[in-house]
Amino acid sequence: MTNDTLARPALLALLLFLLAIASWEIYLRHDGANNAYDDSPSLWAHARTQVYQPEDKSTVFIGSSRIKFDLDIPTWKELTGDIPVQLACVGSSPLPVLYDLAKDTCFKGKLVIDVTEGLFFSTNDGNRQRPNDGLKYYHGITPAQRASFVINKPMEASLVFLDKENYSLNALLDKLELKSRPGVFMAPIFPRDFDRTYFERQSSMRPAFVADTVQQNKQKSIWKLFASGPHKPPINGAPLDSILQTIKVAIDQIKSRGGEIVFVRTPSSDFYWAGEQKGFPREKYWDKLLADTGCKGMHFMDYPETNHYKCPEASHLSPRDGIDYTHHLANYLEKEIGWKFPKSF
Amino acid sequence: MILHNLPISWKAKKINLLLASYIFYAAWNPPFILLLWLSTVVDFFVGRALYTQENVAKKRLLLVISLMGNIGMLCFFKYGGFILENFVDLVNLFGVNYHPAKPNIILPAGISFYTFTTLCYTIDMYYKKSQPVKSLLDFSLFVTFFPHLVAGPIVRPPQLVPQFETEHKATMKNIMDGLLLLTFGLFIKVVLADAFLAPTANEIFGATKALPAIDAWMGVLAFSGQIFFDFAGYSTCAIGVAMCLGFALPQNFRFPYAAIGFTDFWRRWHITLSAWLRDYLYIPLGGNRKGTVRTYANLMITMLLGGLWHGANWTFVVWGGLHGFYLWVEKFLRDIFSKRKAQPEVEAITVTDRTPSLGFIYALLTFFLVNVTWVFFRAGTFHQAWTMLGSMFGIINGGEPMLTTMSIIKVWSIVTIMVVTHWWMRSTSLLQLAYKVPFWLVSIGWAAMLVALALSQESTSSFIYFQF
Repeated sequence: MTNDTLARPALLALLLFLLAIASWEIYLRHDGANNAYDDSPSLWAHARTQVYQPEDKSTVFIGSSRIKFDLDIPTWKELTGDIPVQLACVGSSPLPVLYDLAKDTCFKGKLVIDVTEGLFFSTNDGNRQRPNDGLKYYHGITPAQRASFVINKPMEASLVFLDKENYSLNALLDKLELKSRPGVFMAPIFPRDFDRTYFERQSSMRPAFVADTVQQNKQKSIWKLFASGPHKPPINGAPLDSILQTIKVAIDQIKSRGGEIVFVRTPSSDFYWAGEQKGFPREKYWDKLLADTGCKGMHFMDYPETNHYKCPEASHLSPRDGIDYTHHLANYLEKEIGWKFPKSF
Repeated sequence: MILHNLPISWKAKKINLLLASYIFYAAWNPPFILLLWLSTVVDFFVGRALYTQENVAKKRLLLVISLMGNIGMLCFFKYGGFILENFVDLVNLFGVNYHPAKPNIILPAGISFYTFTTLCYTIDMYYKKSQPVKSLLDFSLFVTFFPHLVAGPIVRPPQLVPQFETEHKATMKNIMDGLLLLTFGLFIKVVLADAFLAPTANEIFGATKALPAIDAWMGVLAFSGQIFFDFAGYSTCAIGVAMCLGFALPQNFRFPYAAIGFTDFWRRWHITLSAWLRDYLYIPLGGNRKGTVRTYANLMITMLLGGLWHGANWTFVVWGGLHGFYLWVEKFLRDIFSKRKAQPEVEAITVTDRTPSLGFIYALLTFFLVNVTWVFFRAGTFHQAWTMLGSMFGIINGGEPMLTTMSIIKVWSIVTIMVVTHWWMRSTSLLQLAYKVPFWLVSIGWAAMLVALALSQESTSSFIYFQF
């Protein structure tokens, strides 16, 4: 090259880059994709900073993926006038977050704990990885990470290709689904439209998923694959009592500061619900949890308004049912539990 | 860059750079700025006194103060827990029942780097190797200049201070070269190290049991690539950013996996650290001037301490020791070869010039041996390191496979391309190449790196060498 500087190649590179990225973005939008936030520790940590709102103006939700799908945040806000803080993590037990909130003497608000028994009572470290990652990030956050969050999130809000779950380089390579070596478990790839994450960490099925039984069946087969894997038997006996005792201590700590806690058993259906009833009989787990902790709880099967949902992939509510469920949940909390919200309904 | 190019005085620009550097450092952990200030102020005044002091005893005392201050700080923050742990093990061995609480010491980012930067200044002042820095502002900027502050390159006063004394402005060529280096550095760090190699390295080194040989090798190769791309990526970004501001920082990497032998490797890997260890440890210990036995001993001491510099764990010491052993063997063979051929020195370059294919085989052998050392560098414990080595060499069998086909393809293809590229580029540099090839080819490569950066969407991994 005879150029004195790299200015000419730099300019052409910039043009090629913009052209490539714009083409990719346009292609994805044309293909029906829309933006989604990366449900990363940074987004979780941002939500965690919100738990110190006045207790009569906010409610904290912890749990697994079901409450992320089943609680419709816009509906909740509109109905109650209250700020929901979504701290649930997909595929995870909420217990690390519960223990963290219990230790945090500044937290004394309303807390809803979503129970998916297989995850809630899991002793598998993998089921605590996400909440632990979020907590580690939150407690060790640096000014650089805060600045990065402020810069990054508006871009995620406007650009579809920044949906890490579906369009990052690794996600695109994984979609090739190369046959793996014998004996190696390959994490299945969820259908693209199953989970769209919003800024406030609500998860929602895209309309294409709700309308497409092929995607729903694929997701069901993934749940079945997970269920068929080698699992430890459900926790029972003394270890269960020990966990319940630890939960009670944490709950009592929060209550002693004026906090209020309610458990919810969010809906599941079909084979998933049948499997859960078999693996985690209600009287041994749900009922015992409420009895041992002295908390109240809303089990979806106890109410005719909530016991009829048919989850598209057997485990999470569709967006429409999520709105309906949110109404009933808010109603239960206000009418039966007596929680106060900024707006009465 | 905007502030740096405003029509303001050079002093104001330097103050701006200094403040920017402090903000940069505070972005990790603001309180540790105090340590940086302390180190800067003490070494500035001690350095000046060392240069002007004629009384030998007082001069030595000043040097001891500086060494104790710098090394003491490093020992406390970096090696405090390690020293205590070993002390406890030792006294327990003698039957003393001593179990103190584990200290919770946070390691300030880049402490090893800026300690070495300030140390070399005071040692230079002691030996009057260079002039004392005239102003505290220039010295503070020399220590704190943000591109090199947290992970090097480790700079010497004569390399950087003169650049602060007279006004420097980046030319268009500097800015464009700097931007290319910055893009390349980010690409190899974010895309190759974080997105493609780190998951495999973490998965394999996170295993608690033996593995099939292919999984173990892929994990080690992945780490081999990850550590290079991570660290060379940071150094390249640092050099590029400094260049955009009109400053030149020393090279830190020259395609090290093309090295033929370990002397050559250490002239290509973390060049500024190996040069520092040579000039401020190996040579003061006597270097090769005090006979064969002392030369071998000095070599080993230097590499063992170089290993310990990387982390407070005996595995790092063994990593350094293994490199020291390789250097021993190489020196031994070199001495024999030199005598037989009656040649004073056999330079690696002659091998590549005369028989390139043989040179490549030697480079592959060096790369293979380097990979063995990385096991100790990455493993958290000796048990894990032995299990990994046992798995790699088929001594321990029966492990369950862990890696997917895609993971193996990623590691194998990236590491192969990396080794071939290192060999191809061993006598040149990225910028030299960029000025040789057609401009449209540079543009395509540059644009491809930008696209890969945008699509990789890796944003949370900090640089591995920050912890050192």
